[in-house]
Amino acid sequence: MTLSARLMGFVMVCLTLLLFGCSPQSAPAAIQLSELQPLPPTSETGITPLRVAIAAVLSPQGTVESYQPLLDYMSAQLNRPIELVQRRTYEEINALIEQGMVDVAFVCTGAYVAGSRDFGMELLVGPQVNGESVYYSYLIVPASSPAAGLADLQGKTFAFTDPMSMTGYFYPSFLVHELGYDTRSFFARTFFTYSHDKAISAVASGIADGAAVDSLVYDAAVAQNPELARQTRIVHQSPPFGIPPVVVNPATRPQIKAELQRLLLDLANTPEGREVLKPIGFERFVTLQDSDYDSVRQVMSTIPTDYNILEASR
Amino acid sequence: MTWYGSDSARQRLWTIFGSVNIRAKVLGMVLGMVLLLGLTVTYQVRVTLADVLEEQLREQGISTTRDLAARATDLILVNDMYGLHQLLQETAANNHNVRYAFVVDTDEHVLAHTFGSGFPQALLQANTAAPESHHQALWLQTDEGRIWDSAVPIFEGRAGIARVGMSEDEMRRTVNRVTGQLLLMTVIVSAVGITAAIVLTWAFTRPILDLVEAAESVAHGDLSPRLTRWANDEVGDLAEAFNAMTEALRKAAQERQERDLLRAQYVSGIITAQEEERKRIARELHDGTGQLLTSLLAGLSALENASTDPLVRERTEDLRKMASHTLQEVRNLAVNLRPSALDDLGLPAAIEHYVGMCIRHYGLDIELTIHGLNEERLSTERETAIYRIVQEALTNVARHAQASSVDVILEKRGDVAIVIIEDNGCGMDLKAMVGKPDKGLGLYGIRERAELLGGKLTIESEPGKGTSLFVMLPLESESLASELIP
Repeated sequence: MTLSARLMGFVMVCLTLLLFGCSPQSAPAAIQLSELQPLPPTSETGITPLRVAIAAVLSPQGTVESYQPLLDYMSAQLNRPIELVQRRTYEEINALIEQGMVDVAFVCTGAYVAGSRDFGMELLVGPQVNGESVYYSYLIVPASSPAAGLADLQGKTFAFTDPMSMTGYFYPSFLVHELGYDTRSFFARTFFTYSHDKAISAVASGIADGAAVDSLVYDAAVAQNPELARQTRIVHQSPPFGIPPVVVNPATRPQIKAELQRLLLDLANTPEGREVLKPIGFERFVTLQDSDYDSVRQVMSTIPTDYNILEASR
Repeated sequence: MTWYGSDSARQRLWTIFGSVNIRAKVLGMVLGMVLLLGLTVTYQVRVTLADVLEEQLREQGISTTRDLAARATDLILVNDMYGLHQLLQETAANNHNVRYAFVVDTDEHVLAHTFGSGFPQALLQANTAAPESHHQALWLQTDEGRIWDSAVPIFEGRAGIARVGMSEDEMRRTVNRVTGQLLLMTVIVSAVGITAAIVLTWAFTRPILDLVEAAESVAHGDLSPRLTRWANDEVGDLAEAFNAMTEALRKAAQERQERDLLRAQYVSGIITAQEEERKRIARELHDGTGQLLTSLLAGLSALENASTDPLVRERTEDLRKMASHTLQEVRNLAVNLRPSALDDLGLPAAIEHYVGMCIRHYGLDIELTIHGLNEERLSTERETAIYRIVQEALTNVARHAQASSVDVILEKRGDVAIVIIEDNGCGMDLKAMVGKPDKGLGLYGIRERAELLGGKLTIESEPGKGTSLFVMLPLESESLASELIP
């Protein structure tokens, strides 16, 4: 048998295998679309997950991307699954904390002040950025805008973040009030974006003529996407305010509270911990005092209650 | 075998094809072409349209699912189940091809769906998408037909999977509608084509049918029909050619008729002159020569009686017998030339006289039968013709037939006189005689006489089986001769 004949035989065998190996599968039984069955109830896993709420400082997707490493790390350390809970508004998160539906929450400063006043929301820890546990409200305008301050934005479109946001709502309202105007009539049009990154995008893309945003979010966003720095301009920076803290319900068991506090405070002491803090932009977690938020309470108290949405709604 | 088979099949096909008329052929061609074109185009459009629409449906399914996945992300992350439900409902409502849409979470629990109360569990496992994939789409066999099911991971699979099922019902309906419209169009065009073909074939075949009718008239001897040239085409040319042909035929027929007339006049003139001449010679022989011989006989009788010399008496007796014999010969000759009985006593008597002479002269056994000719006399030329025909026929029998008996029948049947002469002689080969008039000069004369009077001669004969002559002469109809001879 010559080499070519042998090769030919090999090819024939391969072809046969290919043909019969790939013979069309028998069609699967038809799916009965009309046979509707009740859906089984969501089965709970044996272990109750730790429910962590994160307020919509960032958009829901941005939150997942930034916080997932931290949550994974916490889950591993606590040997417990973690369920991330997000809601569109700060108020919904506050309600979940109040009702004990979540165990621990990353909230905004304004929401903490409201929560501590309304149902005794407790501080667990607070992040530290650039060696401080404070943040600012930036008043930003599109880079092409001639505006030099809030006064120049009269009769324009303004983007608020959340009705319970310190930097995104209370502080710009306070500034308008100081100018002697009513927030409801000062701007031609206002809207809520329900997250700070969306507010930055709204200004960068020219949808809004101005917005007040969380300095931590803005700095992180600019660091991640330098294009934003060219598209937007900071025209005003607020005095420092107490940083958005990590909180718990006052009824949370002290054992869990202590365990979580120790875990978060220890993060900066291990390489893995430092690694998971990076995407959030925090250096470490530190303990905070409720008095750190007094300046915030002062600003909020000056805003007339009739257009302080939070106050008016209660 | 197969060669024969195909040949006969082809022949059968040709027979079928050839047996239908032109109208059916043209209709068949028009209908065939329209149907062939219509059905081919319909089939092609249907196949192509189905392909294009299916491709669109697949792309639409994937893009709809991708869009749904993108818009569902935030709703799932903030646990907005009502918003998610609304999104699915809107997705289904805004796109008729969407049969269902649903979202499953990372644990494969259905978060929201468009099925209403309950969910087909089998659907859940039918398709899925890997977190890092763009999409995963496939055809599902369901009780409602094929469904193009697309699965797209939401937020890289971290928020679950979006699934959208596209039904091909709308697509099939569109394809069927277009197919229906094309078929309807084909039917309408066929109807228009048939109408046009009917009108065209009517216009086309009418001159041909006229031509057929005219040709049949010509075949029956009527050369008068002329065709109208309907169109300036080949059929028009054919009509003109036909007209030219019938005109030529008419001229030729006229010329032939004139020539026949001339010839008949000529022949008739000859025959008349011959008869006249014979009559004159017969009279001469009878009155002149006959009288002289009678006088000679009387003189010889007187001389015989006056002489007493036995030698003279004997010689005179011999001379008288010789003169008497000569007289008899002269009288026979005169009768043969023109029997005075024909003029004086009529045809039956003349024929009986002649037959009697033939029996005596030739020793033939002749049986003569005459029917219906005794009441009234025929015209002179007919009597002469019949007499000459019988004379000629019997002369032929005596000379050539070597017959022992002959039947001669003369009969008047209505307006026709029939002459039959049958012998039991040696017969003749009729085919051998064709084109040799010198051999059948007698028969030629019989035919000539019969035809001059509008009659007809029929000869039946075979070698060794005798000969029969049938002659039919019309008595009333205008004969060619009576036209010519006033």
